[in-house]
Amino acid sequence: MDLIRLERAVIGYRTPLLPPLDLAVRSGTTLGVLGPNGAGKTTLLKSLLGLLPLISGRRVLPMGRPPRVGYVPQRDRLDMSWPLTVLDVVLMGRAHLLGPVKRYSAKDRAAAREALSEIGIGDLADRPVHALSGGQHQKVLIARAIAAEPELLVLDEPTSSMDPAAERMLLDLVERLKNAHRLSIVLVTHQLTAIPGFATEVALVDKDRDLFEVGPAEKMIDPHKLELLYGREVRVAQVGDRTVVVIGGPR
Amino acid sequence: MSGFADFWAGRDLWREPMIAGVLAGAVLGYLGVFVVLKRMVFVSAALSEISGVGVAFAFYLGAVEGIDPHAHGAIPLLLEPTWFSLVFACLAAAVFSLRPGHRKLAPETIVGLGYIIASALVLAILNSPRIAQEAHAVGDILFGNAVVVPRSQIYALAAASLAALAVHLLFFKELVFVSYDPETAVVQGVGVFRYELLLNLATAVVISVGTRAVGALPVFAFTVIPAAAALMITERMRLTIVLSVTFGVVAAAVGYYASWVEQLPTGATMVVVASMFLVPGLVRLLRRNAV
Repeated sequence: MDLIRLERAVIGYRTPLLPPLDLAVRSGTTLGVLGPNGAGKTTLLKSLLGLLPLISGRRVLPMGRPPRVGYVPQRDRLDMSWPLTVLDVVLMGRAHLLGPVKRYSAKDRAAAREALSEIGIGDLADRPVHALSGGQHQKVLIARAIAAEPELLVLDEPTSSMDPAAERMLLDLVERLKNAHRLSIVLVTHQLTAIPGFATEVALVDKDRDLFEVGPAEKMIDPHKLELLYGREVRVAQVGDRTVVVIGGPR
Repeated sequence: MSGFADFWAGRDLWREPMIAGVLAGAVLGYLGVFVVLKRMVFVSAALSEISGVGVAFAFYLGAVEGIDPHAHGAIPLLLEPTWFSLVFACLAAAVFSLRPGHRKLAPETIVGLGYIIASALVLAILNSPRIAQEAHAVGDILFGNAVVVPRSQIYALAAASLAALAVHLLFFKELVFVSYDPETAVVQGVGVFRYELLLNLATAVVISVGTRAVGALPVFAFTVIPAAAALMITERMRLTIVLSVTFGVVAAAVGYYASWVEQLPTGATMVVVASMFLVPGLVRLLRRNAV
């Protein structure tokens, strides 16, 4: 079943960014949205989530309501000067479940602590957020998204500025959460290495090349398509059970 | 008589201004935590100035209608400067809550434009020949003086403070969420514009009424200094709020007392006392940088 569907959607701020597109987020799948910096990925994501009105076309909600979304924003967009503890931040994920006026209850605090423990950082609950490392901060934001009891987990560039080992650990964590909570996932990234072996469906986006194409990962992780997207030589190889992508010089 | 005995003997003279100062210090100390964390300290200065335009405009309209502002009961309710001041400040707060659609116009540019235009308008209106004779009196009403505060202004400040605190008490979790991470708040269906508007309106009402009661300088200072001082020495939200309110209250009370005993300008003395609370944070900062 689809959670959200865009039909013949023209996205953008007043002027169309991409050709009319069809895109569906299916239940239980992982959709990777891939494109270089400034390709229009965030605009596509905002349109998908209903935060940006479509210029034309339709946004369909087959469940009759929007799915509950757990959102992991880009870490560097958050202000680290706020005097908040890790628990304060994770509790924010519960705000929409409570509605206005009501305060966080003991149940909310327990759910927030449980989300932290599940991510493996339960011991950080009372630590100030500004004292965390980049990787820990990213995990806190994922815990907050899980505390929101989502059906759809959306991650915006979660592995940018991470080394390859940290990137793989984070993606393995998200994969584990997906299976444990039966989540659907949308991962927006400019990092080609994050997609193979993680996404089940891939959308390639680049507004400068007027490019939008979506399909199963095995079809989209294709050297020719990726060379077109990045303007560089790309090799795709199978190492054990992993698909590996190597980017070379200009085409 | 000693300084304190002399001060105590004159309590009938300072009771109202002291209450007004302490009340302003407390509520602005609280609101200032949000103002400083949201990096919008000049919103306070701009709102003061814009509410001043409302006051000046009310006097100008009164002069056009031939109303003597000093005659008791002469000002019709609709031309009451307080209303104009509140309406202007609230309109500005609504504008400041909008997210500029233009990439080149950052929110602080809009606040700066508001401040500059309001300053020019106040000057232009006050120097208009129609109200030139009233300019000094209007200036006092505009920017307060913290020395003499009519009881009506204390009631107005108390009402504004209660309204602002009620908003924060009811919607604290939403106000923190939309201020800290508006992007995620939007995605999770928490109405960012609605809560930012509420936050800015609550701040605008207190600043507008507070400026008339204790003056523009102390209001700006109470909105920035106690919160900045508290943020430099603690890493917990609730403790930040408690410390900031305490610093605001103590700065107002001690500042008023010092200005009485040493015969110094009241508003400026309150600001100097408030600045003392920055010292522990600055020492901490110096130590950290020395390592």
